[in-house]
Amino acid sequence: MKGTIRRRSPLVAVLYTVPLVCEAITSALDGIADVRAFPAKRMDSLGLLSSIQPDAVVVDDPIEAAEVRSWANSQDTPLVHICLRQRTIKVLRNGDWEESAGASVESIRNVVAGSMYARGGVPS
Amino acid sequence: MTRTRVLVADPLGIFRAGVYNLLSRESDFAVVEAVDFDRVQSLVETQCPDIALIDLDLPPGGGVAALQWLHEHCNTRTIAWSFDPAQDVVLAAVRAGASGYLRKDISPDGLVRALRGLVAGQAPLSHDIATLMIDAIHQHRDRERTEDRLSALSSRECEVLEQVAGGALNRQIASELTISEFTVKRHIQNILGKLGVRSRREAAEFYRAAMSQLASIGDPS
Repeated sequence: MKGTIRRRSPLVAVLYTVPLVCEAITSALDGIADVRAFPAKRMDSLGLLSSIQPDAVVVDDPIEAAEVRSWANSQDTPLVHICLRQRTIKVLRNGDWEESAGASVESIRNVVAGSMYARGGVPS
Repeated sequence: MTRTRVLVADPLGIFRAGVYNLLSRESDFAVVEAVDFDRVQSLVETQCPDIALIDLDLPPGGGVAALQWLHEHCNTRTIAWSFDPAQDVVLAAVRAGASGYLRKDISPDGLVRALRGLVAGQAPLSHDIATLMIDAIHQHRDRERTEDRLSALSSRECEVLEQVAGGALNRQIASELTISEFTVKRHIQNILGKLGVRSRREAAEFYRAAMSQLASIGDPS
């Protein structure tokens, strides 16, 4: 329609080692963002992220989180690390990890959505 | 169509949600969730589930206690799951009544197949856990053989063998046990015969290996 600006939904990339995490996140972010899931530890995650330019990244693996950290920081892209064994989530803010309340689906949704809104990545 | 009622007992919301979302797409499953053992008990009071998927870190007492309780109170078929299954934990879960054991990094399709397989009477075990179980059975058999060989020795012969394994000479053993060297030699001859080994060095190696084996495996009962 003339005069209407269509913006794509924000894109959240999930780099996972535990596939059921994707099941939960996809549902939690339904209506908020498009979720694309990629198996972690498959080499060149940074190249993948550079190509798809997500609005936020979620990882469930500490090694992957460390690898993605500098890229996310340089791109000002929200990065959320779900620490499954510790049952916590960490959010990268200003280059540092901040631990957030428990790893419930709701808290993950809130952290991801909040980070994207703070960055201005969620369209109205 | 009767749906298979699946109880997902897991302290981590993301796993409960993951299983719930996955099975909601399947027409043959209905899911109930429990965050801890108290919730498991209250759900079971209402209706026993057909299948229970139990996290081994389920609060407050761990998943093995929950498996045991379910086994005693329901006909529910249970599956234990965890991140990094250790052999003793897998065995404890099976002894507590688990019909299967899955890793938490299982694929969604794999989980659905495992649950349907359980309904059909199969025992879901991933390949690495099946290997773990077979290793455990072999170790159990080896342990029984070792115990059989050791049980053939008298208590005095065991004392002598322990000294031999520690590198003691006959004279030192005689002094330690307050017996003659001649008696020590006779004990050692008997030990070699009963163990079926040719030398005191072989006997010492057997004893050290046996002690290590018996110490590394939990009580199989």
